[in-house]
Amino acid sequence: MPISTFLGLETTLRGLLSEQQALNTTSHNIANANTEGYSRQDAVFSATDAYRIEAGVPPASTAHIGTGVQITDFRRIRDNFLDLQYRAQAMQSGYQGTRSTELGQAEMGLGEPGPTGISAQLSKFWNGWNDLSNDPSSGAARQALVDQGSNLAAAISTLDSQLALVKAQTAAQYAAITGPQGDVVQIATEIASLNGAIARSQQNGDKPNDLLDRRDLLLDRLSKLGQVSVTNLASGSIQVTLGDAPPPPVVDDQTVNWPQTLTSPGGQLGALLDISKTGGTIDSYRADLNATAKTLADTVNAIHATGVPAGVNFFTYTAGSEAATLKVAVSAAGVVTSTTGAPDANDIALQIARLRGGAADKSYSALVTRIGGEVRNAKTSETNATVLLSAIEAHRQSAAGVSMDEEMSKLMRFQRGYQASGRAMSTFDEMLDQLINRTGKVGL
Amino acid sequence: MSMRITNLMRQESILSDLNDISTRMSLTQERLASGKQISRPSDDPYGTSRALSLHIDLESVQQYQRNVQQGTSWQEITDSALSKISDTVQRARELTIQGATDSAGPSARQAAAAEIDQLIESVKQGADASYGGRFVFAGTATQTRPYAVGGSDVYAGDSGAVAREIGPGVSVQVNVLGSALLGSGQAAADGKLLNVLRDISQHLKSGTAVDMNALRGTDLQRLDTNIAALVQVRATVGATTNRLSTAMSRLAEVEQSTTKLLSDVEDADMAKTMTDFSMQQSVYQSALRAGANIIQSSLLDFLR
Repeated sequence: MPISTFLGLETTLRGLLSEQQALNTTSHNIANANTEGYSRQDAVFSATDAYRIEAGVPPASTAHIGTGVQITDFRRIRDNFLDLQYRAQAMQSGYQGTRSTELGQAEMGLGEPGPTGISAQLSKFWNGWNDLSNDPSSGAARQALVDQGSNLAAAISTLDSQLALVKAQTAAQYAAITGPQGDVVQIATEIASLNGAIARSQQNGDKPNDLLDRRDLLLDRLSKLGQVSVTNLASGSIQVTLGDAPPPPVVDDQTVNWPQTLTSPGGQLGALLDISKTGGTIDSYRADLNATAKTLADTVNAIHATGVPAGVNFFTYTAGSEAATLKVAVSAAGVVTSTTGAPDANDIALQIARLRGGAADKSYSALVTRIGGEVRNAKTSETNATVLLSAIEAHRQSAAGVSMDEEMSKLMRFQRGYQASGRAMSTFDEMLDQLINRTGKVGL
Repeated sequence: MSMRITNLMRQESILSDLNDISTRMSLTQERLASGKQISRPSDDPYGTSRALSLHIDLESVQQYQRNVQQGTSWQEITDSALSKISDTVQRARELTIQGATDSAGPSARQAAAAEIDQLIESVKQGADASYGGRFVFAGTATQTRPYAVGGSDVYAGDSGAVAREIGPGVSVQVNVLGSALLGSGQAAADGKLLNVLRDISQHLKSGTAVDMNALRGTDLQRLDTNIAALVQVRATVGATTNRLSTAMSRLAEVEQSTTKLLSDVEDADMAKTMTDFSMQQSVYQSALRAGANIIQSSLLDFLR
């Protein structure tokens, strides 16, 4: 079979076009070097189908003559396994980061160790009783004690309301993220619409690399909020489940199913829920604080009520919300100092002063240690999760990220390829020139 | 497979390193500025609980010191009043001995009796000693004058003990009851100081043979018993004062050691923190320099 005279021209043209496409891909990579979530793309060259020609003398053997090159694919270079690891770690980091921030606020409310904390107020309160025991008939000492008791009660109820505030704030954050204009529904809606676009492209045989990048980035963001599991559908769409929400999935192909009820979603939402839910972390802190307030009031009252006049309580509170309702129940003149009622008898005052360092102090100190310990744990876990997250991100970047040096060398390679193809085309041009313009002109 | 290193990776790792060092530097700076190792419970939860309990200890020691000071002042007032009463009673004893000798005439005895009456009032006045508006010999009824000068000899206070707490669970009685020394006068016939002095004055005034015998015999004997009691009470007061001053120096030692323990837990080691800080500063600077150099160079620099 004869070969067309122009085969070489076509071959070099394919070379030129392919190198041009590869150059385009390289410049696309360079342009997106700083785009979040971008995966580098690679133009895959492959030789086009060869022509079979008869060669030699019959019985003929056949030979193949190459016809050049074509770009068969623009590969999106990405490791899906690393994506799974990244999302699992992003969830951890989201959970611990939020937990350490929110509990850190509760910790700030304590003001410990310092002169304004409840511990210092307790000390001053016991000092007040001791001072009164030294001078039971003094109106000034009585007034100082009652004032200090009120300060202590106020400090306890302030801490309680600060804890309540942290709880309300975290609940509000949860509501904002999961609400009708919240992050979850926005991300889900965008994923659903990308699903549509991706499915359509794939139907046409395209590879919508940049849409896939965008969808993966949205999944990364969603995984900070909660545990994400993804099921791939044949059409190229995905189903996305968030946390422990029951079916249907949050994103089912192009449908968004939200709001859903989450109980333990992990991630930022999980942390917010764990802190703010009924019986959650803040509630248990408040229960501990209530126990402290109750212990303080009960131990003081138990001694105070045995004096003369009998049955007088120093503190009053409402059962169930001891910390918030703790108040001094007596006036300065009504403070009971003794079992005899004599002006300088101080046995009751002495007994109460001996409560210093007792059950109430211990209970409060245990609460401080508990909050401190939990904040420290959250901080340490956050640091660990962040380190792991950046290690995985580095691996991911190592595969998918754009390296300028690499793109530069590719740029040079494809440019040289393009130049060489051009030179080849000139050669063919000269050859044709020889054939068309100079052949058959002997003697002219 | 060796890792591909991209520009973004390099930049991010430099950034996160710089961030890490700055975080540590700001923590060290906070320690330097506050002088505290622990500024929030999560810095060291166990250390915080120790610091809280040491604060409680320190506060209580300082309170005990105030209690001891208070008790000591109370003792000093008591002792000086007792010393005045003692002197007065010694004078009464001299008068009794002079009046009891047969050579003393009726007029001399009358004069001695009149002086003893005055001494009785002076004893009562001594027993009315007060500290900060409170009568120290009146038991716990400190708002009531225990003896009415120029009035009845009946003790008006009560028998309550006034105690000061000088240590955890340790309290010391600081008051002396007026009734235990002076009694309630002739009507009570309790053989205490006022009763005896009134008897002596009465015997001196009447001057009968029986009375003179009583003066020389039982009266003097009873007065000596009371003087002995007075001496014993003063010795007790002195012992209590000693005990308080020992407690004071012990409390000062405890305060010092607790303060040191607290400082060990709570305060930053300045030398170490300062060294840490300058080390972190130099690490930060070299990280900055390295980062600047690494980010700058690329293949681009070498291509035409």
